[in-house]
Amino acid sequence: MNYRLIEVREGVFGYGGRAVVAVDRLELSRGECLGIFGPNGSGKTTLVRGVTGLLPPMAGQVLHEPARGQITDGVASYRQQGMRIGYLPQHRNIELHWPMSGLDAAGLASSARRLFGWLGPHAKDVLAMMRQLGIEHLASRRFADLSGGQQQRVLLAGALAGNPTVLILDEPTEGLDVRSTQDLLDLLRHFIGEGVAMMIISHEADDLMQVAQRIAWLHPAEHSGQPSRVEIVTPAALGERILQASRRAG
Amino acid sequence: MKPRSMRRPALRAIPVLGQRAAHLFIVLLLPLLTRPCFAQATRPTDQVDQGTADILKQLETGKADRAATERSAPEAAPPQEQSVEPPQISWSRLIYDFRFMLATAGALGVSGAVLGLFVLLRREALVALAIPQVVAVGAAIGMRFGWPTLPPALIVALIALVYFAFSKRWGAASWVVPSFYVAGLCLSFLIIANHGQDVEDLQRLFVGVDVAVDPAKAAIAIPVLLVVGAACVLLWRRWLLLAQAPAAAELAGLKPERWDTLFLTLLTIVMLLGTDSLGVVMVLSMLFLPAAAVLPWARRLPSAMGASALLSLVFLAIGFYLSNRMNWPLSQSVGGVGFAVLALSQFAARFQ
Repeated sequence: MNYRLIEVREGVFGYGGRAVVAVDRLELSRGECLGIFGPNGSGKTTLVRGVTGLLPPMAGQVLHEPARGQITDGVASYRQQGMRIGYLPQHRNIELHWPMSGLDAAGLASSARRLFGWLGPHAKDVLAMMRQLGIEHLASRRFADLSGGQQQRVLLAGALAGNPTVLILDEPTEGLDVRSTQDLLDLLRHFIGEGVAMMIISHEADDLMQVAQRIAWLHPAEHSGQPSRVEIVTPAALGERILQASRRAG
Repeated sequence: MKPRSMRRPALRAIPVLGQRAAHLFIVLLLPLLTRPCFAQATRPTDQVDQGTADILKQLETGKADRAATERSAPEAAPPQEQSVEPPQISWSRLIYDFRFMLATAGALGVSGAVLGLFVLLRREALVALAIPQVVAVGAAIGMRFGWPTLPPALIVALIALVYFAFSKRWGAASWVVPSFYVAGLCLSFLIIANHGQDVEDLQRLFVGVDVAVDPAKAAIAIPVLLVVGAACVLLWRRWLLLAQAPAAAELAGLKPERWDTLFLTLLTIVMLLGTDSLGVVMVLSMLFLPAAAVLPWARRLPSAMGASALLSLVFLAIGFYLSNRMNWPLSQSVGGVGFAVLALSQFAARFQ
């Protein structure tokens, strides 16, 4: 069932009165994966912050469950409607000098929603998800000692343990080898099939083309001071356009 | 060899310079050689009051007696090696006498070691170094006007905390913090310049040689320090989350900047009470050294916090023992022990 969760209409997002990214229309439905693709500095993170309610729109509207016409007023209104937004950080951004086990790292997302950050009985949910992903044995291992692929799977288990409605993934395949990348993409496809809506920020077009149904391609403005423009394309079209662009570049 | 007349002018000048140097040496040295004569001629007894003259006379008499004894001593008895017994220390008595200081230092050790772990992990060591200097400005104001030192130190620390929190938000923290450090060092001494005893008190606050805590200070410091330490322990997963995935925290409805401010507040409280009670050296020793010694071995935060707190108490115990046994200053003894353990820990960790 194509149940729309979020819709952005004529949205402009930015900071301190400066528009960074403008989007005419963007939708995210249950069981759908939306890729966010663009060069560095094009406003990928700003767009995701706007869609998830972390950044109020400078213009336009962000609707939660658009069929019911709910206008979003930040993260709080998502939570009031019972929508859970999970986040998978880049494993490369994790500060490995902090002493923590695999379970501690996986429990980050769950602890965010608990009083004082205590996991308590929810540690079982995290462990159950780790078991489902086949990485239960990593729970007691030092996180810093794990490989990049293992670290990413541990973090993914933590993000999925909270049973999110929408999962944001920030460069999930960055720094992974081919095998680990493929394993991770297979896992993502599996959970998309189970109804989780995903937004994947990436500059790896190949990866997005494997899992995303639609891709929001951010084109940086030609003149400074203007926001990036968002174009929604299909994975096939993205591949073709990139090919054309590389041919033109010679 | 070249004939004498062909030698370079500089070489020919050497005997002349040598003569002049000899003259100069005599001119300069003569007053020094003749100084005892002049000193004898202007004896203090000619100028001082009667009381001082009596004391000097007694000293001279004593000297003369001692010299006579020394002269007669070899005839009286052959010199014997006297075994010098170290003074007996009554540890129970000592611990009882210093109980308020030890309890405060213990509370500071536990809370400081736990907070210090997160200070090091969050890479905010410079902030921790700057806070005691800022606290010293408040303490100096208190000393200057004869007030208790804690309230003005608290006010100054709060002002600095607010300023720092804003500067962090504006992205200016990296140059504001070192400025705080230098400003604190300068202003605190400028405030009490030309106030002899206060200058000494402030120096004691910085150096922490004479550590003494009165019961009133201990009654405030101990419970507050323990509560702050407990709060820091309870929130360990929060500190971990904010460091690793601030975006996840925001999506869960948390405000990372508010939590950062809370952490800084907890740190400031510990630094404030610790500095006011035990001096800067003790606070910094307890904050950094146990945590730094534990971190190379830590696998998880709860065990690291426990080990760090325990280690701080060990440092205090050994430092207290050495301080009394060797007649060393306490804070420096604790810091020295801490650094020795830290160095050993770092070295041993390389062979893990």
